[in-house]
Amino acid sequence: MRRRLAARLWQSLVVVLIVTTISFVLIRVAPGDPFSYEFTTVSPAIQAQWRHQFGYDRPIPEQFVRYLASIARGEFGYSVMRREPVAAVLAEVVPRTLLLTGLSLALSLVLGIIIGVLQATHRDGWFDRVSSGFLLTLYSLPDFWGAMMIAFVFAYWWQLLPTAGLVDPALHEFMAPWPAAVDRLRHLVLPVASLTLLSMAGITRFQRAALLEILPADYIRTARAKGVAESAVVWRHALRTALAPMIVLLGVMLPALLGGALFVERVFQWPGMGYTAALAIDAHDYDVVTAVVVVGSVMVVVGNLVADVLHAAIDPRVRE
Amino acid sequence: MRNSALLIAAVVLLAACTDTKGSRATSAPGGTLVVAIGGDVAEAFPPFVGDENGRMVQDLVFDRLAEIDSSLATLGDKTFAPRLARRWTWAPDSLSIAFDIDPRARWHDGKPVTASDVRYSFRVFTDSSVGSPVASLLTNIDSVSVRDSSTAVVWFKRHIAEQFYDVAYQLVILPEHVYGSIPMDQLHTSEATHRLVGSGQFRFSEWKPGERVVLLADTANYRGRPKVDRLVMTPVDVTTGESQLLTGQADFMEAFPTDHVDKLASNPNARLLAVPKLGYTFMGMNPYEPNRKNVAHPIFSDRRVRRALSMAVDREGLLRNVFGTNGRLGHGPFPMGLGVADSTLRVPPYDTTAAAALLDSAGWRRGTNGMRSKAGRPLRFPLLVFNTSVRNQRYAELLQEQFRRAGAQVDIDRVAPSVFFPRVYDGKFDAMISSFGTDPSPGGARQNWATSGIGPQGQNFLRYSNPRVDALLDSATYSFDPTKRKAYASSAFQQIIDDVPAIWLFDFNFTAAVNRRIDLAPIRLDEWWANLADWSIPTDKRIERDRIGLASAAPKP
Repeated sequence: MRRRLAARLWQSLVVVLIVTTISFVLIRVAPGDPFSYEFTTVSPAIQAQWRHQFGYDRPIPEQFVRYLASIARGEFGYSVMRREPVAAVLAEVVPRTLLLTGLSLALSLVLGIIIGVLQATHRDGWFDRVSSGFLLTLYSLPDFWGAMMIAFVFAYWWQLLPTAGLVDPALHEFMAPWPAAVDRLRHLVLPVASLTLLSMAGITRFQRAALLEILPADYIRTARAKGVAESAVVWRHALRTALAPMIVLLGVMLPALLGGALFVERVFQWPGMGYTAALAIDAHDYDVVTAVVVVGSVMVVVGNLVADVLHAAIDPRVRE
Repeated sequence: MRNSALLIAAVVLLAACTDTKGSRATSAPGGTLVVAIGGDVAEAFPPFVGDENGRMVQDLVFDRLAEIDSSLATLGDKTFAPRLARRWTWAPDSLSIAFDIDPRARWHDGKPVTASDVRYSFRVFTDSSVGSPVASLLTNIDSVSVRDSSTAVVWFKRHIAEQFYDVAYQLVILPEHVYGSIPMDQLHTSEATHRLVGSGQFRFSEWKPGERVVLLADTANYRGRPKVDRLVMTPVDVTTGESQLLTGQADFMEAFPTDHVDKLASNPNARLLAVPKLGYTFMGMNPYEPNRKNVAHPIFSDRRVRRALSMAVDREGLLRNVFGTNGRLGHGPFPMGLGVADSTLRVPPYDTTAAAALLDSAGWRRGTNGMRSKAGRPLRFPLLVFNTSVRNQRYAELLQEQFRRAGAQVDIDRVAPSVFFPRVYDGKFDAMISSFGTDPSPGGARQNWATSGIGPQGQNFLRYSNPRVDALLDSATYSFDPTKRKAYASSAFQQIIDDVPAIWLFDFNFTAAVNRRIDLAPIRLDEWWANLADWSIPTDKRIERDRIGLASAAPKP
């Protein structure tokens, strides 16, 4: 087990390194640089001087080695757009994305599992058909479109909730703790709901299929024959077995959830990693773009690693 | 002699800003203004400012030596009110002006404003390593000397009509003791330029890129404190901004969607504020090949083709389609709010028959599919437009259809601003829809249409060049006689119109939405925020965010 874990760790490191290399190279070979768009009135000589100052005029392999060293020091480079070290930018935006994706993941798991179980236990009934149709529709929607529709309906047409930002920009810091918490929750509702609805559909489908596979199993029949209540059969015996593959799904879902968060953050102007990356791409802020990709890839491989470990922990076949 | 259009506009502005419900009781200063701004603040350190959001922050935090009044007349100094300079004295030969700094003026860190700050500011704005967009407008200033700690003497190379305007309108004064220790070539990358220390009526409090900029009332300001406590600027997209205005989350949005203004009539929170603005939008046609800068463009190098395309466009129809009844038609390379604007100039008329004849005569014949071609080359070109402007994209689609009827195929190339502007600056486009915001002087047109505006220091993206226009714009800029000045400018504008470098689509129109609880001060044509310190919120109209108070809002040490 330890050897396998070490191998997975090593694989993860390689994946992060490959992703870092690709993102680092791609942003640098794209037309423009941090100084070419914003400062068009500055002479080419001065722009060249700034490029030299930041080392952007060095060969890409040399820049890459320097950047890796900077990551090793925990600095992640310097944001030209924001005039601060990228580590400070990350310290601000990563927790926001984690909050958004973490809440969405938890909610989509809970709701997805419950609905999946209900669908499986009421197979081909009206609930199964209606909820399957609804979730399939959600599943087929592009992330950004779904988020935009939710914003339109709840924030623009019905004006029930705030459309953008983390908190009320004018009031939040002066609120008492309870109203401040409510304010934060109100701003969380739409982005979290968007991300949850869009990721919940996959979980539900997966859970439904897993449970349908297990419900005809011999040990379930035995439990029923022993007179165990149907709810206990489903929720205690069948679901426990059907949850194991969900852990694998978790690992697969993380990249999709992070990818979805990029769009959702943009639509709701949620200043997390995705929103910051979009602004940085517009400004060709090299180090911020690369750092966001690196952190995103680390989050994905760590998520997968944890899922693998958990899966091995609960499934003896995997351990062997 | 004021331009009549400007007078009418001023009357409209005053009417727009007058509270129709009658006078309200004078109330104590206080309240929070939330302004929804389109896009982020890119730069707010004055020498770097190139966009309107940055200019707003700059103008609220920093002061100039003198401030132009709402007439925006740029001749002499009669229309300027004292700011950091409490008075000024012209030298007998008019080649220098001594500015006497107001002894009450203080930087926001408490240090007094001195004459050496003026000298330092001039150095920063004109230093080549800083690359300020304003540098090319300060070329007539030779130097700034310090006579004593409160007297700065600005020396000019030539005595011209707008020399006072050049120094008073273009030069923003910076604190030398804050920024002076930073090498000029390091200013662009210095964190200090994101922590603004000025002398304006608002002081800088917080700037979180992509989230908000917060300014606070400077209660000890030599010009008096603003009537509100706080100003919070939040970058939003159009839909979010609209929603925030309608629900009262925001108090002001400059560019409210024109096709939704009817919602404001019945909205309990926001009302419409429609006033003209100094700027215009056009479809420019590049006379040179996009990738070979000195090779004539196969389509647009021919003036007959440019004229024919212009005549194929029903500009008034397009305007109605996009703006409804709130649009303002473009009249040429100038906005109608400009002092030297002239609505009588002859723009190519909408005449599809004449357009077809012109294209025929230029050798572009219709084929069996209805599209034109010449020597095997189809009349087809990409139209560059940036994807964040709903209006410009809509114009692009309408133009595409009108050109199709004339036998020209247009491929709309929608790109992000970060791609659009480098391509435009590099001349890497065939046709594009873009805008010029102008300053009050006819000299501002030189940046856009004179030969001197070609290159990195100007904005003549179309590389339009006509020596007659250069001479006329110079004469308009340097003439001391307002009548001659307008005549020169009109001739220059007519010549540009006749050369058809562009199709004049619309003048900027300020369709802002403002919260009903706000009492506005008169809006200036060039900068809606110029009198923002005089905006107020009556005590009986204040809501929760207005009651925070300045003491609570002050940044924590």
